[in-house]
Amino acid sequence: MNSDTWEIGGKTLNSRMLIGSALYPSPANMEDAIKISGSQIVTVALRRQAAGDDTSGDFWNIIKSLGIEVLPNTAGSHSAKEAIATAQMAREVFNTNWIKLEVIGDQYNLQPDPFETVKAAEFLIKEGFEVFPYTTDDLVVAKRLADVGCKIIMPWGSPIGSGKGLMNPDNLKAIRTQFPDLQLIVDAGIGKPSHATQAMELGYDGVLLNSAIALAQDPVKMADSFRLAIDAGRLGYEAGTMQQREFASPSTPTIGTPFWHQFK
Amino acid sequence: MIKVSINGKITELEDNLNIKQMINILDYKTESFAVAINTTFVSIEKYGETIIQNGDTIDILAPVQGG
Repeated sequence: MNSDTWEIGGKTLNSRMLIGSALYPSPANMEDAIKISGSQIVTVALRRQAAGDDTSGDFWNIIKSLGIEVLPNTAGSHSAKEAIATAQMAREVFNTNWIKLEVIGDQYNLQPDPFETVKAAEFLIKEGFEVFPYTTDDLVVAKRLADVGCKIIMPWGSPIGSGKGLMNPDNLKAIRTQFPDLQLIVDAGIGKPSHATQAMELGYDGVLLNSAIALAQDPVKMADSFRLAIDAGRLGYEAGTMQQREFASPSTPTIGTPFWHQFK
Repeated sequence: MIKVSINGKITELEDNLNIKQMINILDYKTESFAVAINTTFVSIEKYGETIIQNGDTIDILAPVQGG
């Protein structure tokens, strides 16, 4: 594990990966993937549970046994009112004031609704929640979320589950530049380890992903790969990348080049 | 008797039940769950004093996998 530490939501962590708990081939596979990822934050959700059914209890026991931070989401909410109710329920069930705020505005691409997200964020922050808002890569929406008190902002790389990577790196870079003091996490759309590396190279504080690991041919191996990719991206960012140049520039010294200006 | 929606299913309940009594009648196995009535969260401390009304939409949610 990288020796680098960072702070988010009042916790000091080593891993900059936030990992989802959905879509794995089996609960055992989920558990192994989360463990090898080194992630210290796992996302969970709330859903209707039929009377007499305790599959939820089995899942929750596995998550609790991992001993890492739990980040409940409000997935499925289509209004601030629904998201607020889900967040309050999650706080009681999971015993945490952390909430991944998701308010979906469009069913086609699961794009977050910026107006309802900001409204819900403002209410929940006043209620004492640490809000992790899922948003697009729109700078003005990020500004509105910061204005209502969000310390963490989670722009998408691309639509949830698409695996397309970072559609608009320039937009993500603009948010990073404008909000150097906020914790920024790329959430959604990551498909390959190199996408996560790219997000970290932009100076993002972390990456949240689920499908890219859970839907891989070998989720456990992919979780390990993402662990390395995120660490590599962070180290690269800290090291400072070279400036791009328009033209070629030789890396080998030109002084002392042999066979130069020889008489023919 | 009153008619309510519990997790999307229309159900008949006796009059004047509170949430605690309703949960007992429904025989919920899950230890960890939370309740909302008409999209408004009801904390566990208020189960005894919250009477289910005819036409209420009740959501009982439990932990599941999420991204």
